[in-house]
Amino acid sequence: MRSKKGQEEMIGFAIIIILVSVGLLILLSFFIRSPTKGNTESYQVESFIQSSLQYTSDCENDIEFLSLQNLIIACDNKEKCLNSRDSCDVLNSTVVDLINSGWNVGNQSVVKGYNLKITINGQDKLTIKEGNETSNSKGGFQDFARSGSNYEVSLNVYN
Amino acid sequence: MVSKIGQLKIQEMIFMIVAVALLFVLVGIFFLSINLSNVKQTATSLAEQNSILLVSKVANSPELSCGNAFGTSRTNCIDFDKLISLSKKTEYSDFWGVAKIEVRKILPDEGDKICDDSNYPNCGIVNVLDKNVKILPYSSNFVSLCRKETDGKIIYNKCELAVLLIASEDKTQ
Repeated sequence: MRSKKGQEEMIGFAIIIILVSVGLLILLSFFIRSPTKGNTESYQVESFIQSSLQYTSDCENDIEFLSLQNLIIACDNKEKCLNSRDSCDVLNSTVVDLINSGWNVGNQSVVKGYNLKITINGQDKLTIKEGNETSNSKGGFQDFARSGSNYEVSLNVYN
Repeated sequence: MVSKIGQLKIQEMIFMIVAVALLFVLVGIFFLSINLSNVKQTATSLAEQNSILLVSKVANSPELSCGNAFGTSRTNCIDFDKLISLSKKTEYSDFWGVAKIEVRKILPDEGDKICDDSNYPNCGIVNVLDKNVKILPYSSNFVSLCRKETDGKIIYNKCELAVLLIASEDKTQ
């Protein structure tokens, strides 16, 4: 009987020790955990898209040099630039240049890959992918409308 | 006899509760001391957060934003002319509450040429603010750097891709 009571007390003591240890571990994890630095943030992806849409391309029409946003619309309308280049070709090369300048993609880099998509009325117009798609990603999109068409530019950056 | 055993058990329980409470108090004091010793680090972390917040809104501040100068209102658009003017002004050194603000043109890549009156706009870096102190890692954001340009025939809006870099002072030392 006495031995059983001793056992019960030991079990109780063990439970308390376990509870205290778990509490300590949780507290410790809060203190040790430091914010991850260097990772891409969503606002950076959003601002990249917004800034890129304002970028002035080499494609000129009768009035001006087209911004990327106007270049997407020109490509949708199958227009040509003043120098006879196809607006879709200029769009493709401009987007590639912008992404390569903005994101340094590589296995040793913070950015492991990206996926950029331009859709017009829900239909894919241009998709550019590079690197690996990881589970840690940040994304953003920007949409605009012109002459009854809806344009959407989305970008996912994988860390 | 029975009552004495009961008293003993109550005593045991009281000791146990006191011991556990004491343990929690000690642990609390331990973490509190760690926390208090990290006050400087917290200040640094707050300064870093400030630079992150600033980097996401400074491009839209009246001092730098394009406003309606390039047609419709644009977000994340910096007026290159305003930027160059502001980079020469020392009155703004305490205005932003950070130690360093820099704008780097990334497309087209103009290298590390510091912008001044002689090479504007064919330059790569605009130093808006530099307090020459030890700084924390940069917070960055993409911006569109716009100006009026002419090719001899027409005057048009020329917007380039740039990165806005902001760093706070490192106060840990």
